[in-house]
Amino acid sequence: MVNVGIIGLGHMGRLHMMNCLHMEGVKITAAADQSKIGLRKAKSFGIKNVYEDYHDLLNNSLNLDAVVISLPNFLHLESIQLALEAGFDVFVEKPMANTLDECRKIVKWVEKSGRKFMIGHCMRFIDATEKMKAIADLGQIGDLQVVTLEQILNGPFAHGAVPTPVPEWWFDPKKAGGGVLLDLGYHLVDLFRFFLGEDSHVLFSCFDYKFNLPMEDGAILLLRSSESDVKGIINAGWYQKSVFPEYNFRMILHGNAGYISSDDLVPRNIYLHAVEEGMKNLLRKVVGKRIKPLSYSYYYEAYYKELQHFFDCIMNDSNPSVSATDGLKTVEIIEEAYRNHGKSQFALKEA
Amino acid sequence: MGDVVGLVRVRSSEDEIKNSLGKALDLIGFKPKGPVKSVDIKVNLCYYWHASTGYTTDPRVVDGIIDCVRERYGMGTRIRIVEADGTAMRTKHSFLMLGYEKLAKEKSVELFNLSQDETSQEKVCVNGREIAFQIPQSLLKSDLFINVPKLKIMRDTKITCALKNVYGCIASPRKIVYHPILNEAIVGINKILHPDLTIVDGLVALGRFPIQLGLIMVSRDPFSADWIASQIMGFNPSKIKFLKIAMKEKLGDLEGVKTSGENMITFKRIFPKGNFFSSKRWWDIQLGLFRLYSKVVNDVVPPMLEKDMKS
Repeated sequence: MVNVGIIGLGHMGRLHMMNCLHMEGVKITAAADQSKIGLRKAKSFGIKNVYEDYHDLLNNSLNLDAVVISLPNFLHLESIQLALEAGFDVFVEKPMANTLDECRKIVKWVEKSGRKFMIGHCMRFIDATEKMKAIADLGQIGDLQVVTLEQILNGPFAHGAVPTPVPEWWFDPKKAGGGVLLDLGYHLVDLFRFFLGEDSHVLFSCFDYKFNLPMEDGAILLLRSSESDVKGIINAGWYQKSVFPEYNFRMILHGNAGYISSDDLVPRNIYLHAVEEGMKNLLRKVVGKRIKPLSYSYYYEAYYKELQHFFDCIMNDSNPSVSATDGLKTVEIIEEAYRNHGKSQFALKEA
Repeated sequence: MGDVVGLVRVRSSEDEIKNSLGKALDLIGFKPKGPVKSVDIKVNLCYYWHASTGYTTDPRVVDGIIDCVRERYGMGTRIRIVEADGTAMRTKHSFLMLGYEKLAKEKSVELFNLSQDETSQEKVCVNGREIAFQIPQSLLKSDLFINVPKLKIMRDTKITCALKNVYGCIASPRKIVYHPILNEAIVGINKILHPDLTIVDGLVALGRFPIQLGLIMVSRDPFSADWIASQIMGFNPSKIKFLKIAMKEKLGDLEGVKTSGENMITFKRIFPKGNFFSSKRWWDIQLGLFRLYSKVVNDVVPPMLEKDMKS
């Protein structure tokens, strides 16, 4: 049995908490959040040890094996350090930290601690991503030439069924660490690295500020892999009004011999898919089998799968497929894009 | 007594918007009740969605209104653009994100968050039910209160336009508390706050999807504006619950409601009318079935759809 503490009960924290509750061999023994509503929710699921200050969770919950951290970005560094020092395995939401320097520190702490460590690179766990990677690795589309990745949504400004204000830290660039590139773009940069399995660099970056915020709400990057010269086109945006379950995300791998698009691999009709999968789960329930949590939403299911993978690694003593180095390298590319933003534009104008 | 509703077709160039506003005001022969030294313009910034989505008032329309006000009542007129916080929306962010900070700077007008105003609690009786509201006091003192709603369909009330935008003046952010009695609350707040002029921004309207409707609609009476707006959006106004309550409560009167200017059919023809799939009933069915499923199967509910996370 893996005893888990949930740190942070915002949107992602609550999702991870509910996912943990559906996993075999996983028991939530403690939860921490500043919000009383979050703690009330945790208590309603039978979690007895709840703390308003996550430091208390780390100091008092001696029976813990692992923690799931879903705090605001600016609190990742300190919470990861303290959790590793306390001897816990750590799952943390992306980004691992807000800056490259912070990421380097974390990589060192993880190596020194010897604990299991994983970052929530959930998009690697979408079925379509796994299928596309397998097809490309088998050479079915020839040599890979260009990877197109895009995700345009409302990001932190998404409107829930019950309206709640966007947390204030999202409006503070120091606390959020960046804009859409560090939020949604982070996943796309990671996917480029995932498909290529190589280091990459930024050829061009262009940002939009349609909402007049101090951070970008639109980001377009051109990446190049270091060895195979494959190009990646990244298109991320916070500017589109999106209402659940709509999800504007796609991946296309272009090779010499053909292409694969995620549009051909994800359900054509998300509503019909939800009904089909819901019926299957209902049937599983009736015949006494385990349900497949969140299978009614192909992208929400990925959150379940990534967390299950983390706990499987703890139980089987294997290494998670997403490492602290993956987090470091992703933030490295993002910082390069931020740094080169002005220069790239200048170079374009000159050309 | 209802009022004439002026309809003007407009293309989206800024000059034309301003000219169309002037034309629309002339159509209804608008004259303020007294000298105009201060003007409050109540926009609809319900959430952080750009005007092109059809949800929020287009700053270009407000830009035109400011020019019209200054032309008619002098450059020294004190103008405020006002909005109150919503359950999920914070006015300070909406002003920035939707281009109002930029507009205010360019036009030297004030932005004001009604949720930060001095307030008084006022109670009204609607349909035999007493409802209390926090009323921003400064709004009661302006010489000219201009209501600038959007033209859009809404799951809960079928339409949202002039009367519903006044509901957005309630100072307390957690307006969701009124949702179980939303129709009564819309009428209630309009019994307390009375805009002198309603200018509907129908440049981009919202039906099943946003549409460039190119409409500016004006009236002295928000009830009359809503009566016509609901017809443009394909509804029978006598079946809109808050309009029915408004009539019962003597807030609205059909006598005298008429249009002037463009034919309403021009806009009605292209408006993407709501259907069953954009209705509250369909939304409730989906949500109800989903919650029943998650309860029976014990599946995970995404926090996005949780119903018990009210702050």
